Amino acid sequence: MKSLTATDVPQKGTEKKRSSVWKRALQQRYLYLMSLPFVIWVIVFAYVPVWGWITAFQNYKPKNSFLDQKWVGLDNFVELFGDERFYLVLRNTLAMSSMGLIVGFTIPVIFALLLNEMKGQFFKRSIQTISYLPHFVSWVVVAGLVSKMLSTDGGAVNQLLMSLHLIEEPVQFMAKGSWFWGIVTLSDLWKELGWNSIIFLAAMAGIDPELYEASTVDGAGRFRKMWHITLPGIRTTFMVLFILSIGHLVSIGFEKQMLLGNPLVTDYSEVLDLYALKYGIQMSRYSYGTAIGIFNSVVSILLVLIANGIYKRVTKESII
Amino acid sequence: MKRKTQYAITLLLALVFVFVTACGSSNNGNNTGKNAGNGTNAPAESENLEPMTIRFASGDVNANWDDNQSDIGKFLTEKTGISIKAEFPVGGTDADMFALMVASDDYPDLVMPKGNIGKLVDAGAMVDLRPLIEEHGPNIKKVYGEYLNRLVWSADDDAIYTLPLDLVGHTYFDAGGGFQLQHQVLEATGYPEIKTVQDYENAIKAYLEKNPKTEDGQPRIGMSLNGGEWQILISVTNPAFYATGAPDDGEFYVNQDTHEAIMHYQRPEEREYFRWLNHMNDVGLLDKESFVQKYDQYKAKIASGRVIGLIDQNWDYADAENALKAEGKFGATYARFPVTLNDSYQDHSFQGTGYLSGFGVGITKSAADPVRLIKYLDYLASDEGQVLVNWGIEGKHYNVVDGKRVIPEDVQAMKSNDNNTFKKTTGIGNYFLSARYGDGVLDPTGNYYTTTFPEQIQTNYSEADKKTLAAYGVKVYKDFWPADDAFPERKYGAAWTLPFETGSKANVIFQKTQDIMKKRIPEAILAKPADFDKVYDAFLKDLEDANVAELNAEFTKMVKDRVELWSK
Repeated sequence: MKSLTATDVPQKGTEKKRSSVWKRALQQRYLYLMSLPFVIWVIVFAYVPVWGWITAFQNYKPKNSFLDQKWVGLDNFVELFGDERFYLVLRNTLAMSSMGLIVGFTIPVIFALLLNEMKGQFFKRSIQTISYLPHFVSWVVVAGLVSKMLSTDGGAVNQLLMSLHLIEEPVQFMAKGSWFWGIVTLSDLWKELGWNSIIFLAAMAGIDPELYEASTVDGAGRFRKMWHITLPGIRTTFMVLFILSIGHLVSIGFEKQMLLGNPLVTDYSEVLDLYALKYGIQMSRYSYGTAIGIFNSVVSILLVLIANGIYKRVTKESII
Repeated sequence: MKRKTQYAITLLLALVFVFVTACGSSNNGNNTGKNAGNGTNAPAESENLEPMTIRFASGDVNANWDDNQSDIGKFLTEKTGISIKAEFPVGGTDADMFALMVASDDYPDLVMPKGNIGKLVDAGAMVDLRPLIEEHGPNIKKVYGEYLNRLVWSADDDAIYTLPLDLVGHTYFDAGGGFQLQHQVLEATGYPEIKTVQDYENAIKAYLEKNPKTEDGQPRIGMSLNGGEWQILISVTNPAFYATGAPDDGEFYVNQDTHEAIMHYQRPEEREYFRWLNHMNDVGLLDKESFVQKYDQYKAKIASGRVIGLIDQNWDYADAENALKAEGKFGATYARFPVTLNDSYQDHSFQGTGYLSGFGVGITKSAADPVRLIKYLDYLASDEGQVLVNWGIEGKHYNVVDGKRVIPEDVQAMKSNDNNTFKKTTGIGNYFLSARYGDGVLDPTGNYYTTTFPEQIQTNYSEADKKTLAAYGVKVYKDFWPADDAFPERKYGAAWTLPFETGSKANVIFQKTQDIMKKRIPEAILAKPADFDKVYDAFLKDLEDANVAELNAEFTKMVKDRVELWSK
């Protein structure tokens, strides 16, 4: 990209500069043509829908045409920020997504590190395959499994704890609001652990083996090698994924929360998307739902920019 | 310079090409849609039986839907050329399904939107059925008769958008609700009187003490409530109405004289009902998972035969009970009783409503051929059609003996003992899509339209049911309930049929109160008895903070408007 901007071109008057840009574009016209469909694709699917944001400033009714919609200014936002439930669901969303982010990055990296140290190829491959299979299991099934495992009525976890005499009587895991975040995080970890570690394993495979050989000569042990070679080797991959995930902090979806939640834990299980569904779409308040969507997008963009800014300041590299 | 222009032209051309194809394809889509509509329209006028598949979206999940592959389904396809492709809510609720339908402006031909009809009407998606009925629906008109004006949408809009599925001229011969106890419990405890919650509790307790485990060694559960999903309304909060001498009016208690409405949790009587549930939890008779379990877990528990008592409606636990019957565990199936908080209350389940013009089936603006659809619905409403959907096909599912319709024994056995398979293979019960008469109405041949009539109900009962009923000296469960004319008719029908204006302030407040209720009621029931009042007070305070007073005022107005509209 950089080579295409005008800054590289010697400053000899605007006429010259412009023509050189055009010249270069002309030289690369086939490349431009080839990328054109994708640019259009992005515009159609990512930018045109933003037009729909306008409904957030209207009292949108599906039967009216665009010109007949009633304009309400910022009323939807005023109502959103004035609703205390909104702050509650925001807290739940951020809590669960941050927990998911921390656990969902550290554990798979450790898992990948350990797998990477494995000698037997067959064993390593089998473990890898087995560990990423749950990724393909639907959340509906996972939620069923989790609630059955944690059930007080013959659930495996309670029976195990009882037989170890750690607890006197079955614990109602699913009824304790404060445990809900943990249950979601752990079941998410179980489901995605193997899948998330694949990309780290791939990054590790790309590290130059000569580095390891050299460090062996220098007398480095296994842990030294992990610390000084493997981890720095996957740093860029890790950071790209991490910063992109930060962008998804507020939009964590709602399947897990909807399927695992129950009336007793709603104060901990309701997330932004669920709130938008309930108070927006389900009640046909499309404008209100859109207002929540706008809030989501704006916060996401800000988060990514901030995360990238911090990373840039610390490492002098930029990811995006 | 020349190359530059060439380049620009290429670019322009490419862009134009993309837009032309994009617009072109959408135009084509519209055109084919219209053509198809016109194409089928014309021949339908001359009773064309050309095969036509219509989409039908139902807000109620029917796990035994047969895709027109059952006996009745095939017959109907042959008769009318129409086969129905049904869609049901998946995962989420019916509210999502219809809201998304409105948002995407993609409607099926027929809908049964339940409480979401307001959204569809507001979006202008429903066809006014009045002119269609006038012209093509003589049978529909005949069935609704004098109640046709109750189908009208509102005082401002006199269109008819749905054909209510509520039965016309219906007499309840049996009761599906109340409090349930397993037959084996009643037998073991010597068929005690079950009138108050105390009687109910004693029976469960006595049985559980003697039989803590099932034959296969599983621990029994005193009682379980279906409180983890939306049925919390059916299994937990509606019984509070019944146990305290009020009819079910949705989430509101309506004063029968003044028609003032309040949210029913605000009644002091109901606090006492929830206090009893709290007590049941305290003494360990209530299933601890009542508010955590999913519907399938609840059904699985019942189907294992471990649950001694339920508080539910028959339609909600019937699948599980049918599984018990299929396994031959009749002792573990349930008898039903009207149970009240104490002797001073009477169960008002059957307080009259007049004709309840409630949830119904409507035709959307996307229907390719509304005329053919209304004719289809009209056929279902005809005498022939009603006998078909209720009884099945003559010679196969029933015989006419001495002018009376009789169900052969093998068919009846399958119907009583394995109802799920029965429904799916015969289609009986799957095609209730149009106006029809209720139980107790006679057709021109002197037979009942429906298969539910006093004698038939008794044949429908399993041996276990019959034994229990005989022990109490009654014929049907309904006999436990007060007679139908024990209470005056409600002038507004039933308040749960009143729709909120979509997205209105009252609707938002209502949603908030529901969220509060779903959290606080389980909390109050599961609290330590000493804390019960504290939690319940906090619940009422939350309701007030959510501005329940304004909601009550608005709902009172809606009830009064309905009374005025219907008494015209």
